[in-house]
Amino acid sequence: MAISAVARETVFALRRQIAKIEGTLPERLQAPAGSAAGAIPGKVRSGFPSGIAEKQISPHTAKSDMTILRHGLAVASADAFLHTGIDRLDTALGGGLPKAALSEIHGLETRDAGAVAGFALSLVSLILKEKQGLPILWVGTAEIFHEAGLPYAMGLHALFGIEPEQLLFSEAPKLLDALWIAEEAARMTAFAAVVLEIRGSPRLLDLTATRRLHARARNAGRPLLLLRQAGEADPTAAPVRLIVSAAPSASRETVAGPLAGSIGRPAFKVDIGKSRTALPGQFTLEWNPDEHAFAERTENSVAVVPASGRGADPAPAPGSVLAFPALASPASGDQPSRQQHPAHRSPRRAG
Amino acid sequence: MISHRDNNTQRIAALDERAEALKLKRGMGIADARAMHPSIDVVEADAEADRRLLEGLADWCDRYTPLVAIDGEDGLFLDVTGCTHLFGGERAMQDEILTRFFQQGFDVRAGLASTPGAAWAAARFHGDRIVAGGEEEALLAPLPLSALRIAPETRAGLESVGLRTAGAVMAAPRAPLARRFGSTLLLRLDQALGRLDEAVSPRLPVAPLSVERHLAEPVMLTDDIERLVSRLAIALRTDLERRGEGARTLALLLFRVDGAVSRIAVGTSRPMREPRLIQRLFHERLTALEQSIDAGFGFDLVRLSVLSVAAFDLAQGDLTGDTADDDADIALFADRVRARLGEAAVLKPVIVESHLPERAVKAVPFAEAPQRRAPAAGRAAPPRTAPPMTVYPPERPVRLFRSPEPIEVPATEIPEGPPMNFRWRRALYRVARAEGPERIAAEWWRQLPGEEEAPTRDYYRIEDSEGRRYWLYRQGLYSSAAQAAPPRWFMHGVFA
Repeated sequence: MAISAVARETVFALRRQIAKIEGTLPERLQAPAGSAAGAIPGKVRSGFPSGIAEKQISPHTAKSDMTILRHGLAVASADAFLHTGIDRLDTALGGGLPKAALSEIHGLETRDAGAVAGFALSLVSLILKEKQGLPILWVGTAEIFHEAGLPYAMGLHALFGIEPEQLLFSEAPKLLDALWIAEEAARMTAFAAVVLEIRGSPRLLDLTATRRLHARARNAGRPLLLLRQAGEADPTAAPVRLIVSAAPSASRETVAGPLAGSIGRPAFKVDIGKSRTALPGQFTLEWNPDEHAFAERTENSVAVVPASGRGADPAPAPGSVLAFPALASPASGDQPSRQQHPAHRSPRRAG
Repeated sequence: MISHRDNNTQRIAALDERAEALKLKRGMGIADARAMHPSIDVVEADAEADRRLLEGLADWCDRYTPLVAIDGEDGLFLDVTGCTHLFGGERAMQDEILTRFFQQGFDVRAGLASTPGAAWAAARFHGDRIVAGGEEEALLAPLPLSALRIAPETRAGLESVGLRTAGAVMAAPRAPLARRFGSTLLLRLDQALGRLDEAVSPRLPVAPLSVERHLAEPVMLTDDIERLVSRLAIALRTDLERRGEGARTLALLLFRVDGAVSRIAVGTSRPMREPRLIQRLFHERLTALEQSIDAGFGFDLVRLSVLSVAAFDLAQGDLTGDTADDDADIALFADRVRARLGEAAVLKPVIVESHLPERAVKAVPFAEAPQRRAPAAGRAAPPRTAPPMTVYPPERPVRLFRSPEPIEVPATEIPEGPPMNFRWRRALYRVARAEGPERIAAEWWRQLPGEEEAPTRDYYRIEDSEGRRYWLYRQGLYSSAAQAAPPRWFMHGVFA
C-alpha cells in the first residue's frame, strides 16, 4: 500500500469536514477490498450525486493497480447527471454535471460574459432535450445586465434552440432580491433550469446563501446554474465549479475545406475549478448549434503545428501539470506522418 | 384668515369664527381688512394642499360607501344607497360621520336626501338634516336661489326679476324660464326634486366585489394583517365562485384609526380565487412595503376588494388530487415576484417583426405577455411565436446591450472594412478575425415626415486575439465630402 494509513486518516478527516461545511452526509473513502459494492443502497438521499464511480487517482509512483474507491452514502443513479456528451469531461466530473444541484460557472472577467452565458445556455439546451417545452428562468441583477447585456432571444433561438416563449428573465434591482427570486424559483419544478447571474464576489453570496440555493435545487430536482462574472473562487456549497472562458473558434467548414478567416461554431475553454471527484482538467469544447451537442476540440485551432493524428487525445494545456497519465496528453513531439495527416487540416495562420 | 389672489387683488378666501366676529367677510380685499384690523393674521391659500386634504377625506369616507365623489373645492358626495343599514340606519350613520369628523378636528355639515341636489342644499343650508323621500320640495322652497347649484349670473338674473327663493322659481311657469335662463336652471331643479336622475361619478372605480372587517381592537402587526387578508379572501371565494370568475386585480385598503388610508394593490397574471394564493401575494407586497406603511395607532378597518375580474376556467383535477399545472405555478411565481419587486420584475421576450436587432425582441412584463398554452393531447400545436426558420438565419449574439456602447476604432484595413483593433471600456482589443458586413438600414417607414433618415449600420462579427466574439457595427458610411462627420463605431452585443 503506497498510501499510508496516516495520510488516509487525514483525507477522511478533511472529507468529513468538507461534508460538514457543505451540509451533506460524509462520504466514505475506502480501499478496494475485492468487491466494489460497498455502497449502502438503502440510504439514498434524494439522489445526491456523489461518489458514483470509482476513480483511479493513483499517482505516478504507485503501482498502476492501486485505486481508491469513493463511496457516497447515496448511490446516485445515472439519471442524476447531465451528460455533457464529452466522455472525458463526464468522467472527470464523476458522471457528468449534477442535475439536481447548484453548479457554479465562473467567468474570470466580465468580458467573458458571452462565453459564460453561451456555455450555460448550451447546458440548458442539453437539459431541454429531456424536458421538452419547459421554460427557463434567467435571474440577474441590474448591474450585470447593464454590464454584460441582456440575453437576446433571437440569438438564443438560433444557437441553442430555446424558443423565445420558453425564456423568462428577471432583473432584480439588488442582489438580495435576485437571491430571493432564485430561491423561490429553485424550489419549483415548473422550470427546466434556473440561471442566476451575479457579478463579482459579493459578501451576501456566502456559504449559507449558496447552501440554501443548493438545498432547494436538490429538493426540486432541477439544476440551478450560478453564473459569476469576474468573481473569485469563494467557498460555496456548489459541488461543481467550472471556469469558462472563450476559445478561438474553428473556421467554418465548407465543401472546399475550412474557410480561412471565418468564425465558426462557438468554442469554450472549460476548467474544472472544483469537483467532488476532483480531477483538475482543461477542456476545449465546441458547441454544435445544429445538433445541440458538444464536441471536444481535439486540435488546437490556432496551433501552428498540425493536429495530433491520434484521435481523441487532446492537446495539453501549456504549463499545466496533469497528475494522471491515463488522462493526460500523448507525449509531445508525436507528429503524425504524412499519410495520417488529414488533407483538409492545413496549418493555419496564427490569430 | 386665508387670502387668495383674484383679479390681481388679494382677497379673503376663508376666515375663521373670530375673524367673522370682527365683521370681516369673504371676498373682501385684504388691504381693506388690514385697514379695519391691522393685527389680523393672513395666510396665503394653498389650493393644492386643500385638494390633497379633500382627497384624503374622500379616502377615509370609503369606509362608509365605495361611491365617494368630490364636489367642488369643499364638498364630498357619498352615495350611501344600500349602506345605511350597516351603520344602524340613516340617522345613526350621519351622526357617526359627523362625530368622527368632529373628533378629527373638522367642522362638517351634512345632509342626507334622496337626490344629490336636495342633499347638497340640506348640507349647506341646514347643516345636519335628513330629508325623507318626497320632502325635497318642502326643503327647497324656503331656501335662497344659491341652494339650486346655479351659476351666479343666472342667480343675479332671477333675482332681478323678483324670484328670490327656490320656491318662487318652482312656482313660475317653466317655458319662459327656460327661454330666458337656459335649460341648466330647470335641469338642476328637476334633479333636486328627483324628477330627473343625477349620477354621482365616484372618484375611484367601484370594485365589483369587496369584503371588509371592522375591528374593535386596531391591528398593527403585518402578521395580523396577513391573517385578516386570508380570512377576507375566504369570504371572497364564495362570491367569486358564484359569479364563475377569478380576480385579476386585488386591492387591500387599510383604514388607520386617525383617518389615513393605505391602498395596496396586487395584480395577477391569471384569474385567481384561492385564498391561500391571495394571501401569499399580499405577503410579498406587504414585505416589500414594510418600510413605507406606517401603522401608527393601528388599523381599525380592513377591506379586500376585487378591482377587476376575469372568467375563471375550471380545471378538473385527476383522482389523485394533484394537478401538476406548471403554467399555473409559473404564473403564481411571476405574480409574487411582481408583488414584491414591481411590474417589470419578470419579463418575457416577444418577437416583433423588425430587422433592427434592438426592436426585434421586446421584453414585456409577464402578465401582459401572450400566455403560453401547453399543447394538450389531441389539440393542435400552438402557433409558434418563434421567428420562422430560414435557410441561413443571420447570426445573432446571445447577449445584447441595452444601448449600443460607443467604441474607438483607430484604424481599419480598408475604409469600409472591419476594424483592425478597437478600444472598448478603455481596454484595447486586437481583432483576429472578422466576418461581415451585414448591412441593416433604418426603418424608413417608421420615421416621421421631415425627420432625417438614420444612418445605416454595417454589422461585423469580430473575434479578438483571445477568442472572444463580439458584434460591432459602424454607423454611417465614409464619405469624401469634407463636412460629413466620420462614421462612428458601436459595440452592440457579444456572441457565445
